Amino acid sequence: MDWKNYMKYFTNNQNLKVNMGYTSWRKKIRVIFFLGILGILGTSLLCLNFGVVSIQPRVIFSILSHRSAESTNYLIIWQLRIPRIIMAILAGIALSTVGAAFQGILRNPLADPYILGVSAGAALGACIGIALEYISGYYLTFYLPLFSFLGAIFSLFLVYKSSKVSLSEGSSGLLLGGVAITFLFSALITILLAFSKSELHSMLFWLMGDLSTASWNKISIIVLPVLLGCFLIFFSSLDLNALALGEEEALHLGVNTSKLRVRIFITGSLIIASVVSFTGIIGFVGLIIPHITRLLVGPDHRIMLPASAFLGAIFLILCDTLARFIIAPTEIPIGAITASIGAPLFIYLLKRGYQ
Amino acid sequence: MPINNNILTLKEIDFSYNHQHKTLSNINFNVARGEFWGIIGPNGSGKTTLLKIISGILKPNKGRVFFQNQDLNNLSRGEIAKLISLVPQDTWVSFNFKVKEIVFMGRLPYIARWKGETLEDYRISKEAMEKTQSLPLAEKNIFHISGGERQRVFLAKALAQTPKLLLLDEFASHLDLNYQYEMLKLLKNALKDEGLTIISVFHDLNLASISSHRLLLLKEGKIEKVGIPEEVLTSENLQRVYGMKPILIKHPKSQVPQILL
Amino acid sequence: MFTFKKYIFLFTLTIFLVFYSSHLFSLAAQIDYPLIVADDTGISVTIESEPQRIISAAPNNTEILFALGLGDKVVGVTNYDNYPEEVNLIEKIGEMSPLNLEKIVALKPDLILTFAIFQLKEIERLRELGFKVLDIEPVTLEDTLERMKMIARVCGIPKQGEIIVGGLLQRVEIIKTKVAQIDSSRRPKIFIGGTHEIIYTPGANTLFDELISLAGGENIARVFSGWIKINPELVAEKAPDIIIVPVGVMNPGDQSRIKEDISKRPGWSNIPAIKNQKIFIVNEDLFYRPGPRLVDGLEKLYEIFYQ
Repeated sequence: MDWKNYMKYFTNNQNLKVNMGYTSWRKKIRVIFFLGILGILGTSLLCLNFGVVSIQPRVIFSILSHRSAESTNYLIIWQLRIPRIIMAILAGIALSTVGAAFQGILRNPLADPYILGVSAGAALGACIGIALEYISGYYLTFYLPLFSFLGAIFSLFLVYKSSKVSLSEGSSGLLLGGVAITFLFSALITILLAFSKSELHSMLFWLMGDLSTASWNKISIIVLPVLLGCFLIFFSSLDLNALALGEEEALHLGVNTSKLRVRIFITGSLIIASVVSFTGIIGFVGLIIPHITRLLVGPDHRIMLPASAFLGAIFLILCDTLARFIIAPTEIPIGAITASIGAPLFIYLLKRGYQ
Repeated sequence: MPINNNILTLKEIDFSYNHQHKTLSNINFNVARGEFWGIIGPNGSGKTTLLKIISGILKPNKGRVFFQNQDLNNLSRGEIAKLISLVPQDTWVSFNFKVKEIVFMGRLPYIARWKGETLEDYRISKEAMEKTQSLPLAEKNIFHISGGERQRVFLAKALAQTPKLLLLDEFASHLDLNYQYEMLKLLKNALKDEGLTIISVFHDLNLASISSHRLLLLKEGKIEKVGIPEEVLTSENLQRVYGMKPILIKHPKSQVPQILL
Repeated sequence: MFTFKKYIFLFTLTIFLVFYSSHLFSLAAQIDYPLIVADDTGISVTIESEPQRIISAAPNNTEILFALGLGDKVVGVTNYDNYPEEVNLIEKIGEMSPLNLEKIVALKPDLILTFAIFQLKEIERLRELGFKVLDIEPVTLEDTLERMKMIARVCGIPKQGEIIVGGLLQRVEIIKTKVAQIDSSRRPKIFIGGTHEIIYTPGANTLFDELISLAGGENIARVFSGWIKINPELVAEKAPDIIIVPVGVMNPGDQSRIKEDISKRPGWSNIPAIKNQKIFIVNEDLFYRPGPRLVDGLEKLYEIFYQ
């Protein structure tokens, strides 16, 4: 509809108050994107100031505009702090979007990005990789993300297969498959941990989430899967809305629910697998952020999914800053921070008679 | 072969959920355009299953469903959604959407995912709410309204789908008397104004009797009797199906049979 | 008054100083930089020039550096470093894992010594950022001393390294000779127990076990490989003559109560070590850290076994 016709049609219907308060979704999205990007930039710039080494804001500014030549601070800002922040942004976007999407397809408010078994697979892959490093003495660190990614894909495959075996209809098949695989893999990980005294520490750190070795290289690997994958999920917003009315209702509205489930499951799992391979398992973000977002902007997925992504990014930037700053130079695993903030927040939401 | 006037034809339908017990056997009937049908029968007789077969979300083991001379099997879910809509018995929603958002979801079959909605979609949603007198509820949250109000909202949604055939699953079972009466009025208006055909599962025989042009009485998955209320609601039929003989009287206004215990 | 004598004196002094300093200079510059070294990650690292700012990412590396007299070049140590006392004045870089990259970078090191495989992630990242990282992971006493010599070479003091390591080797030889004279039947059976409920003890292929053997003892857990969780019943069955209890960060415990707690362990009352109250508490750092103090540990063990 071109602009002129649009205006004519609009004025003709003004008396009928056609829009009746249906604020265009597009308008809302523009606001969300504007606020979201502003929020991310603002938080990033703020958190750039924090770290073990205190660098004056003025110095940071000149480093950012490439004017300063002081190499150590330059290195710290451009190679350490900024990559960490960007990694936190990408992980935040990924975890929140996928968490919200999974809560949508499973119609379960307790769902998080790991509920379908991806994290267990990624964790097992990583732990196997670490264990192999010790046994073979090989310099496998570079390949660790690959191990973890393969583990994630493997568990994705197993869950998908087992959900077909399940006789229950709808999403419970996937859910049960995910839970079963998670239990199985967690047991395997425990066995692995029991046998490995020396590499225990690095396995544990991976299991609690770790952004400390973020680099531009790693960012370049995950930026495409995360952003592309999340955009694909955004496109399923309307279908996810329909699914909120129930499996049958969604079918009656013409939504191909089984295809939708597979699409969301596979896209979401791939996004998470890529992120988790590099950052380890960061918990609570994918669970809590969608709920907070829903309280702020409502349950319409078209608005809620992007808003979750932005909120998740900002949240993770802040958590990471706390993790590396509170008891510097000791670093707290980021999973501990997200849990410490996330758990009380979650309980508060429940008490508030969360809807 | 189905006659052209019929909007819906079920031909030799058999269905079972598991292979031990047939939920529906040898179902055959035709629904003409513009009729209001009531499906009645005891619990477990297969009423809801029949509704799901008609709407296409269950596929029969044997037999075919024809909608406007087209085999339902050959249509995609999206195409069916533009023709048939359903008001469920349980109006459960997992997230606290606003009423107007729920009604708007009825337009989903018509919205191209990448283009998004049009002004027309909003207009139709608004009209649907007007017709079901749920416009005052538009800004409220779905969790905060009563069962009867929810029923009206879901009816609005089903109407927003602009279907040719409207299905309802026991719309009255949770409603107070006044809401029952209102829903009936709304449905009758929709029938007239939209040129809809309506098929509703009823638990209450009296309500079925005063609502429907035709009744379909089910017993253990088989059709016991099809016809106008006077033909179906007889003491012999009811004795055979329900195992007891009630008192039948004629409704003082509409003359249709009413049952007294 | 500037007399002729004073002039001669000054002249001689100057000559003397010039020669002496050049001698010092030659003593120091015995290493040709750049130097290429392969570390325990199997990577060859090029050391451009003599390191002046060294960060030690593990307590044992710190002890090695100080033993080699390089203490004043150390600019960063971990939270766990506690020996020698001078390390308390050195800036802390935090935990051993994960290593705080920002802190390390800020200290502008030209050499970083890491220890364990669980620092591999950070090692890779630091190398990406252009830092020189050497991973030192010795498995035996001999390995440890070899690494010490390597570190000395890398830091430009190979001769000093040889001398110091030589001294350590000599002490080891002394113990070895003494032990060789002792009949194998007289060698005491040793059990290494921790302070925890669940007992982890070192089996074969551990530093601790090696020291026990060198000191003339027989580790009852020798049949196993590596650090293992041992069944207390097995300990009772093997009936060790001496129980060694390492205490420290990895084995925390109230020293006054340790002997009592161990004696009271169910089923252990018949163990010779307990009957004869031959339970000895040692500083775990001497046995866990692959560094110069391993030799101290060795001597301590010999003392416990045979004196």
